[in-house]
Amino acid sequence: MTVAAWGQLALFSALVLLTTKPLGLYMARVFEGEHRPLPRVLGPVERFLFRLSGVDPSVEQTWVGYTASVLAFSLFSMGVTYAILRLQHVLPLNPQRFGPVDPALAFNTSASFTTNTNWQSYGGESTMSYLSQMAGLAWHNFVSAAAGLGIAIALARGLTRRQAPDAPRTLGNFWADLIRATVYVLLPLSLLFALVLVSQGVIQNLSAYREVTTLEGAKQLVALGPVASQEAIKELGTNGGGFFNANSAHPFENPSPFTNLVELWLIFAIPAGLTYTYGRMARDSRQGWAILAAMAVLFLGGTGVAQRAESRPNQALASLALDHQAGNMEGKEVRFGTAASALFATVTTDASCGAVNSAHDSFNPLGGLVPLVNIQLGEVIFGGVGAGLYGMLIFVVLSVFIAGLMVGRTPEYLGKKIESPEMKLAMLYVLIFPLIILGFTAWASVTRWGTSSLSNAGPHGLSEMLYAFTSATGNNGSAFGGLNANTTSWNTVLALAMLGGRFLMIIPALAIAGSMVGKKVVPAGPGTFPTNGPLFTFLLVSVVLIVGALTFFPALSLGPIVEHFAGAAGKVY
Amino acid sequence: MLDIVFILASVAFFAVAWAYALGCDRLMEGRQP
Repeated sequence: MTVAAWGQLALFSALVLLTTKPLGLYMARVFEGEHRPLPRVLGPVERFLFRLSGVDPSVEQTWVGYTASVLAFSLFSMGVTYAILRLQHVLPLNPQRFGPVDPALAFNTSASFTTNTNWQSYGGESTMSYLSQMAGLAWHNFVSAAAGLGIAIALARGLTRRQAPDAPRTLGNFWADLIRATVYVLLPLSLLFALVLVSQGVIQNLSAYREVTTLEGAKQLVALGPVASQEAIKELGTNGGGFFNANSAHPFENPSPFTNLVELWLIFAIPAGLTYTYGRMARDSRQGWAILAAMAVLFLGGTGVAQRAESRPNQALASLALDHQAGNMEGKEVRFGTAASALFATVTTDASCGAVNSAHDSFNPLGGLVPLVNIQLGEVIFGGVGAGLYGMLIFVVLSVFIAGLMVGRTPEYLGKKIESPEMKLAMLYVLIFPLIILGFTAWASVTRWGTSSLSNAGPHGLSEMLYAFTSATGNNGSAFGGLNANTTSWNTVLALAMLGGRFLMIIPALAIAGSMVGKKVVPAGPGTFPTNGPLFTFLLVSVVLIVGALTFFPALSLGPIVEHFAGAAGKVY
Repeated sequence: MLDIVFILASVAFFAVAWAYALGCDRLMEGRQP
């Protein structure tokens, strides 16, 4: 790694660390505080939305009620987005007069944005009207992230609440969490950082596209639109769906290294802050720091491998008499270079964001392996907004159980016993993820609808398919590239992978919360395994890596790993 | 026609998810207080 790469990594890590505690405290006040922040500014908005929607925030829901609300809201909002996309040609704010979105693409896109995945089988500037971008897609960027935040807080309540045995086993109110997450966390930060991005050159308008004459005298149509308002929440909500097809590689979305740093911070800000919020809810901030430390170790490991891989030239070009000091620049923006591109790829796949500033398909095999592995570890390395915390908490439960097995004691976490039902639910959570990814990849790799969309043969082609299903199921949304996913078959199957990867994992997570919330708390004794220190962090990292490696290593060995060795032997795909 | 297929597919998925949630709730019937 170069000095510049180390500097970027250090600056980025320092920014995330510096804001973890204040943002975590702020979110703890929003979700669990007696008095919410900024009562004069945001209080009236919150109360207005409660009155408008008929929500009584003091009425709490059981896990089944909470889940029913999540599912009902998601189905309804997915339907609204589908309708907007299909009817955009008769709706306003369509200066380019785009026609209706194809049904399979509309299904894929509405599932994608509802599940916080933001997989895009389309180019935004050539497919979507401004209304579709704002009301159909950017709106989901807020509410899908807010739903994820609510679910993480509900699981945290289940694990940390101490209540009488006869008290109702409730986890909060989904509708109140949804509104508060949007009003107090996502909207103010998005507004603030949209203005920061505008100040740096990100565009924000509703104008028709403009035809300009280039320096060479050619005519070029420059796509415009309300980009900044979608850009901030794109990263803050770990959504990742770009206004333009080139996503954060486009100069109107990400004009400079400074905006690149801002966008990187926005991706990690809430997931990192949530670990502190969790520590506050557990009445022991070290519980949160231990989880943050595990995430940081995994993040730094992945970054190191990606930076090293991309600092080397593409294997097909290495033998040519070229200046290779810039590293593997294929598919990368010159204004970012390999260091900022590798860092962005690592961060965006750690955090289930999916925004990209370079083409992951063009990374060297081991560089491309890192984003793939990051997602396959379950999107728990900071992870998506809310999704990262609830995913990591499932691994915490699993780690505590394994530690209990090792010492022969009934495992307990925060004084609550982990028993058979919780472990069954945790295993459901852990197993559904690879089942969808590997099952669909296997299906696609032996059928014509799957292989006919590939641009590359051999292990690279397998990586393209594996990445697509990994990204969809992990609700990441980034594309490896090299795969034409805009076909009826791919759009439909990927939509099902996205829906399964979101809701079939949320349900066992909320069920664990419902199971744990009413459990009796026993005081810590000499045999209690501490979950707030470095030993637990080590165990947690090991469990995440072992589960991920055991599950996905065979598939990875047929994809990027064999491609790396083939490349070293002079064969590229 | 495809619109109806995709709308029904969405409703069917969420119905399956709801049944799955009820199944998870049954898993917890033997839990200890």
